Amino acid sequence: MESHERLSAPLVLEYPFTRTTGPVIGAFLTGLREKIVLGIKRKDGSVLVPPTEYDPETSEGLTDMVEVDQTGEVITWTWVQEPRDQSPWDSPHALAMIKLDGADTPLLHAVLVDNPESLKTGTRVRIKWREKTEGHIKDIEGFLPMEGDDD
Amino acid sequence: MGTGGELAAVVGVGMTKFSATRGDVSMPGLVREAAQRALEDAGMQWDDIDAVVMGKAPDFFEGVMMPEIFLSEALGCVGKPMLRVHTAGSVGGSTALVAASLVHSGVHKRVLTVAWEKQSESNAMWALSLKQPFQVSINAGAGGYFSPIIRQYMEATQAPELIGCMVAFKDRQHALLNPYAHLHQPDLTFDQVVESPMLWEPIRYSETCPSSDGAAAMVIVNEEEADKAENPAWIHAGAMRSEANNFPGRDEVNPLASRECAEDLWNQAGITNPREEIDVVEMYVPFSWYEPMWLESLGFCERGDGWKLVESGATHIEGGDLPVNCSGGVLSSNPIGASGMIRFAEAALQVRGMAGDHQVEGARKAMGHAYGGGAQYFAMWVVGKDKPIA
Repeated sequence: MESHERLSAPLVLEYPFTRTTGPVIGAFLTGLREKIVLGIKRKDGSVLVPPTEYDPETSEGLTDMVEVDQTGEVITWTWVQEPRDQSPWDSPHALAMIKLDGADTPLLHAVLVDNPESLKTGTRVRIKWREKTEGHIKDIEGFLPMEGDDD
Repeated sequence: MGTGGELAAVVGVGMTKFSATRGDVSMPGLVREAAQRALEDAGMQWDDIDAVVMGKAPDFFEGVMMPEIFLSEALGCVGKPMLRVHTAGSVGGSTALVAASLVHSGVHKRVLTVAWEKQSESNAMWALSLKQPFQVSINAGAGGYFSPIIRQYMEATQAPELIGCMVAFKDRQHALLNPYAHLHQPDLTFDQVVESPMLWEPIRYSETCPSSDGAAAMVIVNEEEADKAENPAWIHAGAMRSEANNFPGRDEVNPLASRECAEDLWNQAGITNPREEIDVVEMYVPFSWYEPMWLESLGFCERGDGWKLVESGATHIEGGDLPVNCSGGVLSSNPIGASGMIRFAEAALQVRGMAGDHQVEGARKAMGHAYGGGAQYFAMWVVGKDKPIA
């Protein structure tokens, strides 16, 4: 028993699964294609963005979709100095929870600034759309600080 | 596992329409549809449910690793215990039994159980043929796996070659009586079944199950709750068994785990002659020949005689004394993870007198059956119109 080589073999499994979006997520994604953001209104009047098909507390079916503003506030954030290969963004950016005006829950997205000094919790931001939209969360390229200008 | 403890009964059943593609709903929307119908049948609201037990087929079938993460709102699980059960193709049956055990044990009074599959978003054939390091891969899916076992049965029993076609034709005729069934083939003839392409010799295309989207759900409650219901299906017995996929001397045609599971089931239910005492059977038959094979394994006849029951018409809803798969069975609808629960739910519908056009008149005791893996996981129950005798 001279050899202590351990046998091993690669195992790569890959299959292109599909997902049906359903009426609520489907409408949200279609809205992004049209460069609008849709949330969903709960019984108590609060608005979920991104929307869900069923109320996260009561499990009621939700159907009342409403448009919210394209401006909002950074609720919290983290700085990404060196995005990894799989990151949707190539340059340094902030990953932030952003509550859009008219929404009661925050959306996770990027704030496109050069350095962390340009951002703080509470910073007002607006959506930067991609030129070509296709019905995907990446239709929003990211958010830009409003720097005191009004919308 | 026996039923033991508290009595339990099914008071709500819900199913989706089964079809090749349910492109109109997300996975949460699909399970919701079945669960909502089960609640409505039970006359309950989401708040009335104490716990939720869900099941689906193996993760690779849809690439959904943690369905519990994104289904809690859709199934009203918020603030309640939620469990997921895994036992390959038998999962719908074992999920129902786990839900029932929560009631038998006295832990919960009202449990919702749900099982589903959205095959249109996946590829079960791929998932069943995954290459494994250091093993030969035949890349042949379930049909390739089961076809030699079926040949072994045919040779051992000297069954006529077209018995499998008879089962397939019967189940497709039964499916015409069930509006929820996936395959509705009113113009199908027996000759067309026989002439359909040989897919995994000796299994023809028409002797295999379709690939379906769909969900099934049940509300299972304790005696106190069931006594308030108009027509509960009382759970008389429930049993599960497992065995290894491969070991020397394994009887693959009639697995030991299947025989022992059935024996336990009949003992619990106080049944000594299943053929006489069971009025209708919903059996897991994804390939036609499994009907005669399971008839023997479950003790509905002597070994070697299963095909004779089929040939005699005993398992047909019209004129048969032991109708099997009046819903059309797995051969007519196969959302894999849900298929076992559909069997259990159909058995409950029969004894509740709610099976519509595929109702067996006067059914008082019904069996629901599921198997999975390389015929190595078994789940079975007996439900009755009457309360079980203590």
